[in-house]
Amino acid sequence: MNLTQRLLLTVMLALLVTLHFTLRPLLDWRAGVDFLVIGVLLVAVRVRPGAAALTGLLVGTAIDSMTPEALGAGALAMTLVGFLASRLKAAFFTDELGLNAVFVFLGKVAYDWVSIVAEGRLSGMTLVWQLVAWTPLSALATAAVGLLVLAAVRPVMAERRFG
Amino acid sequence: MSRASRGDSRADTVLAIACALVALLLLILPPAPRDRVAAAIRGNLIGPLAMLQTRALQTGRALAVQDSLQVVNDSIVIRAQRLAAVEAENARLRDLLGLGRALQWGFVPAEALVDRAAGDEHTLLLSAGATQGVQRLSAVVSAEGLVGLVQAVDARTSTAIVWPHPDFRVSATTVDGSAVGIVSAHAGDGADRWLLELHGVPYRSSIAVGMPVVSSGLGGVFPRGVLIGTVVRALRGESTGWSRSYLVRPAVRPSELHSVMVLLPERAAEGVESVWRARVEALERRVRAAGDSLAARAAADSAARLAADSTTRPDSVRTLP
Repeated sequence: MNLTQRLLLTVMLALLVTLHFTLRPLLDWRAGVDFLVIGVLLVAVRVRPGAAALTGLLVGTAIDSMTPEALGAGALAMTLVGFLASRLKAAFFTDELGLNAVFVFLGKVAYDWVSIVAEGRLSGMTLVWQLVAWTPLSALATAAVGLLVLAAVRPVMAERRFG
Repeated sequence: MSRASRGDSRADTVLAIACALVALLLLILPPAPRDRVAAAIRGNLIGPLAMLQTRALQTGRALAVQDSLQVVNDSIVIRAQRLAAVEAENARLRDLLGLGRALQWGFVPAEALVDRAAGDEHTLLLSAGATQGVQRLSAVVSAEGLVGLVQAVDARTSTAIVWPHPDFRVSATTVDGSAVGIVSAHAGDGADRWLLELHGVPYRSSIAVGMPVVSSGLGGVFPRGVLIGTVVRALRGESTGWSRSYLVRPAVRPSELHSVMVLLPERAAEGVESVWRARVEALERRVRAAGDSLAARAAADSAARLAADSTTRPDSVRTLP
């Protein structure tokens, strides 16, 4: 990545984090957009898997600190998502925007499933509904927004996309 | 795969496993240290972000409150508008009750069933007919004054022409009887179309603006003393030979008619002057008060002018020997 690309990535990440803490609570959707997953995936496909895992750990821990009883669950989920995204980027992260949206969708589903199961706060039908209904819906919304973000950064990020 | 690449890959995997272990460690921490770690992260790392989230939540709540306030505000406005209509209806009914009490007998109350969207604005369909005692050429009145006269009578309904009708005529006079004429609809354009004309007033009789005009009782259809309207102005160019014409603002607006009274001939013959007397006298007093204040202002003006003349022209002041 050249300096311009690094700068754009930083700005985009900061913007996504800000949106996660401002727009998301304002919209207050049951199946909300996860801007942080988009941000982690955006970074993960452009750095080495170890760095992606570390990014996931930091972002996940930061989110978890808002709900102390689940501290570590989001961190574990985001670490796995970051690492796997970086490992699988060659397979998924292509010039095809639609495929990138699927990548974001799967990333969000994986994050939710791992973090929800690791938290262990939900059980019974609530857990089932969350895993098979609300998580996919939220992943759809996240993929749609992710598509927009990727389309916005693609002109600048097109070169040396895989770092 | 080169040795360096394999080494990088191994380092990535080790780092990822280390990260996962840290996450697991956080997950299995006992509550007290876990809360301390979470508090430290919140305080140092995401404090500003948490503040942003708080602000966003407050904004969201404020918007929700604003929406509900708007709904409450709209409901209040709607209720207030309905209240005004109810108050107006109350006032109308009170007036009608007052009219009924003043007439005492010999009248038939009726609803004005007019369909203004489809129909003729010169006529009214009344909800009372021959069964209720309504007769042809009976006077139709309201609390405000003269409305018109019954033209056709059916068993349960009747049709009345109202004063804007081209065929409507009523013999009229001022309260003091100084001027007598015939009132009919004014054939004007625009807003003037909804005014009346008083014709045939003797040239020697001058009527002041605002003076009430009542039915004279001549002709036998309308009893004497029913308020018709108030004089707006003299009609210029309408004075023919020995008579004058005046424009009259009607006391009754046909568009606001809902309930009326049909005067039976026996009651009309008895006289109804006392019914509208209070209203007519109030109008007269207003004219007199306006005349007095104009006279007082004219007197004050002339006194002021005289005083000014005497101060500017001292030589014109004569001293008595």
